[in-house]
Amino acid sequence: MEFLLNNLLSWILWFPLIGILIILFTDRKNESFIKWISLITIIVDCILSLYLVVNFDFSKTGFQFIEKKRWIDFINSYYFLGVDGVSILFIPLSTLTTLFCILISWNSIKELVKEFYLALLFTNIAMVGTFCALDLVVFYIFWEAILIPMYLIIGIWGGPRRIYSTIKFFLYTFFGSVFMLIGIIYLYIKFGTFDYTILVNQKYPFLVESFLFLAFAIAFAIKVPMWPVHTWLPDAHTEAPTAGSVILAGILIKLGGYGFIRFAIPMFPQAALYFSKLFLVLSVIAIIYAGLVCLVEEDLKRLIAYSSVSHMGFVTLGIFSFNPIAMKGAILQMINHGIVTGALFMCVGIVYDRTHSRAISYYGGLATSMPIYAAFFMVFTLASIGLPGTNGFIGEFLILLGAFLSNKIMVVFGATGVIIGAAYMLWLYQRVFFQELNPNVAEMPPLKINELAALILPTILVFWIGLYPNLFLNYMTTSVQNLLMNLK
Amino acid sequence: MGVTLNFSVILTEIIFILISSFIFLVDKFVKNKNYAFYITLMTLISASYLILFIPFGEFTYAYKADFYSSTLKLFLIGGALLISLISYNYLQYYTNLNSGEYYGFLLFSMVGAFLMLSGMDLVTIYLALELMSFPVYFLIALNYAYNRSSLEGALKYFIVGSLGSVFILVGLGIVYYFAGTFVLQEIFQNLAQNLYFKELLIGFIFILVGFSIKLSLVPFHMWAPDAYEGAPVPVTSFIASIVKFAVIATLVKIILIGFNPLKVEIGEVLIPIILASILIGNVMAIKQDNIIRMLAYSSIAHAGYAGLGLISADYIGYSFTVFYMLIYLITVIGTFGVLVFLANFKKELLHIPNMASLCKKTPFVSLLILILMFSLAGVPPTAGFIAKFYVFMSLVKTKYVWVALIAILFAVIGAYPYLRVLKVVYMDKQEFEFNFKYDFTFLIPVCITALLVIIIGIYPKPWTDMIYKTMYFYISSLFYSS
Repeated sequence: MEFLLNNLLSWILWFPLIGILIILFTDRKNESFIKWISLITIIVDCILSLYLVVNFDFSKTGFQFIEKKRWIDFINSYYFLGVDGVSILFIPLSTLTTLFCILISWNSIKELVKEFYLALLFTNIAMVGTFCALDLVVFYIFWEAILIPMYLIIGIWGGPRRIYSTIKFFLYTFFGSVFMLIGIIYLYIKFGTFDYTILVNQKYPFLVESFLFLAFAIAFAIKVPMWPVHTWLPDAHTEAPTAGSVILAGILIKLGGYGFIRFAIPMFPQAALYFSKLFLVLSVIAIIYAGLVCLVEEDLKRLIAYSSVSHMGFVTLGIFSFNPIAMKGAILQMINHGIVTGALFMCVGIVYDRTHSRAISYYGGLATSMPIYAAFFMVFTLASIGLPGTNGFIGEFLILLGAFLSNKIMVVFGATGVIIGAAYMLWLYQRVFFQELNPNVAEMPPLKINELAALILPTILVFWIGLYPNLFLNYMTTSVQNLLMNLK
Repeated sequence: MGVTLNFSVILTEIIFILISSFIFLVDKFVKNKNYAFYITLMTLISASYLILFIPFGEFTYAYKADFYSSTLKLFLIGGALLISLISYNYLQYYTNLNSGEYYGFLLFSMVGAFLMLSGMDLVTIYLALELMSFPVYFLIALNYAYNRSSLEGALKYFIVGSLGSVFILVGLGIVYYFAGTFVLQEIFQNLAQNLYFKELLIGFIFILVGFSIKLSLVPFHMWAPDAYEGAPVPVTSFIASIVKFAVIATLVKIILIGFNPLKVEIGEVLIPIILASILIGNVMAIKQDNIIRMLAYSSIAHAGYAGLGLISADYIGYSFTVFYMLIYLITVIGTFGVLVFLANFKKELLHIPNMASLCKKTPFVSLLILILMFSLAGVPPTAGFIAKFYVFMSLVKTKYVWVALIAILFAVIGAYPYLRVLKVVYMDKQEFEFNFKYDFTFLIPVCITALLVIIIGIYPKPWTDMIYKTMYFYISSLFYSS
């Protein structure tokens, strides 16, 4: 086990490569073999990432599992990986999300199966890499590399308007990232290193710091997505296949929040404080505006997509409150949102595979034809609303509690988002599952084993985090406190 | 200093000329036309051997085999090897192209490129440029059997190229009038004494115009789409890769050795040209339906990106320019290799909308297109990203952050044309017949280039080091020995 522990992050990161290579040289007619290989690869990767979490020592503040090897001497760039309390939980979340994606698309992807699983495994590599990279170039490479498989996943296996959505998605995020690239290059020119642990302790003149902060923040804000630049998300979420939506909701938009916490705020604290009002206002607008849009939305997937915007508004609200409780809440809320919204998208995908309709009016009375499914959906709906006992409550409560200590007015407005959230989610549930049985959905085949497997795991996590969040919060406590201590 | 006549130094060029002349001579009498391909292949391989093992030296003042030229020549030979493989594949299906003349001209053009890289005075460089260009005009016109408009492309290229020559000659005249010499190092010494600073700058700008025409930078880019479209597909890849690489490497050398004291001013002169090239190349590429025309416009933009390193007026920036062009050479050869494959089996596929659902018919080729297009768009983890990253870095290092910002925004526009190709290949749907078989002459070049694109993208260190150190040693050897 010694060799495994020494390079554990590399193992988690590159293990799917084995699956990719095997699949690459497999005949494309052999579909079930491809599926099984990717499933086994990801399960092993999940186990490895859980092993990482178990071995993580959450009393330490610094980075753990550090790997640092020379990569490009010439620009002083390193292959530098490491995790701390902020990023540790995202790594199992990434691998688990990929596992859900593979389970949920087991039967629903019928064409170009080989490419699909290649793309999923590739996404997994890029996601894990983004969360554990501590060298800015390596980080940027992984960050951008996600675009390639996501572009394909949305564009090839998506819905009717997939091409418009995927190109919009690509260009929006690409546009945001290039500013960050300039920022990264500028930092290198100034300090001669891409090493995050060195850069985070530098001091800058305020003007330079502001520009750098904005350069990074544009990239992250588009990814989150914050209010004025959120328009790619409903399109991309809606048109993506189920697996694509799950990855988008589960991981991709978390990268933005993670970027804020890891890079934008600790590296440029003065500018972050200076602009925090702006970002708080944008977050509140996102919470309320997206919630209101959800109330009038007719499309199941689009509604959940907009609810993501609203939930991510809570996350950014928590981040920019600069309060340890809110910050922890934001990180936890990102994980909650990844689990819950990912699960909701899986639920929608399950009925979409059977009916090929996303219109809410198409459904009705689904609780009678698919009772087990309705129960799962109920759990995730309540978690999304933030009912006590589910994980959503813990996250939102911590965020509001922490933010209240630093900025009361924002919280008053933000908290209305919770009420709106309850309104649209419950109303959605009522329209889809209760009411009279719609003849469209009278005869629905029951849940398949793979779908059941994909739904049970998030359900467990919903209650686990909801009832005993301390286990998860412990991971972040020291790191978040350390982070905020450096700010002041 | 006596004039040295060291014939072993120019052995490569001599062999090239002899062999291509030999091909021209015997071509009429040989039935099996494939012989020319094998001869070319052997010549190229033996030339790489010669370059590696013959010691550096001078042949009169005008020619110098040194570290810089030899390294870059090896890259050119690598590219030419891949292109001749692609050409062989192409000529199997387009038998009306005379393969003897084809390879003969190819070798002749290579001689020009080699002489240009080694040329140490402006006249030699000018003559070598012409020697490189003329066979290309013929090669484009060779396609007349299949594409009537190739004559138009060739003529356009010829006329614009002649115009470029005129500009270069005027520039040479000005330079000679004020510096009294064509030899690059003597021009440098002249400039170092701060004599005729402005006049020599004007002379250089004239020369620069001539080179820009070959690089198809913006005000002089109009020939590119027509010439690219008219030429046989492998020849297009030759124009886009080898010719451009040789021209830009020579430009770097002229600036480094000859006009070094002027480099900041040259950088300022280049800013509008480069930015306009990037913008117009990228914007015009968006609407092109013919993929070769699209790549022609994209090559305008890529020449612009490579030129960004020249703006930085720093030898690190220059080495990144060469590195960018090297990556572009690799990527573009692979791309055209794929296009040759498509043209061989179904010519309509060169029209972008006709490529729809190509991924169902040839998943392998589609994957290659995917890798190459993302590299052209500059998305990590491909080599295209690393190349762009380096040139932007060299810009930010100097005071031209705003140029980098603008160029980087244009890069976002520039991603669209490639995304569109991928969109059509992977996402659009249509029914069509497509019968094909994979040849080794197709598989070898495209697999090598696609692999290189990924390998350089993930681990660029040896490649950048190679270029950077070449440049570094070259400069230090030049300025310490003289």
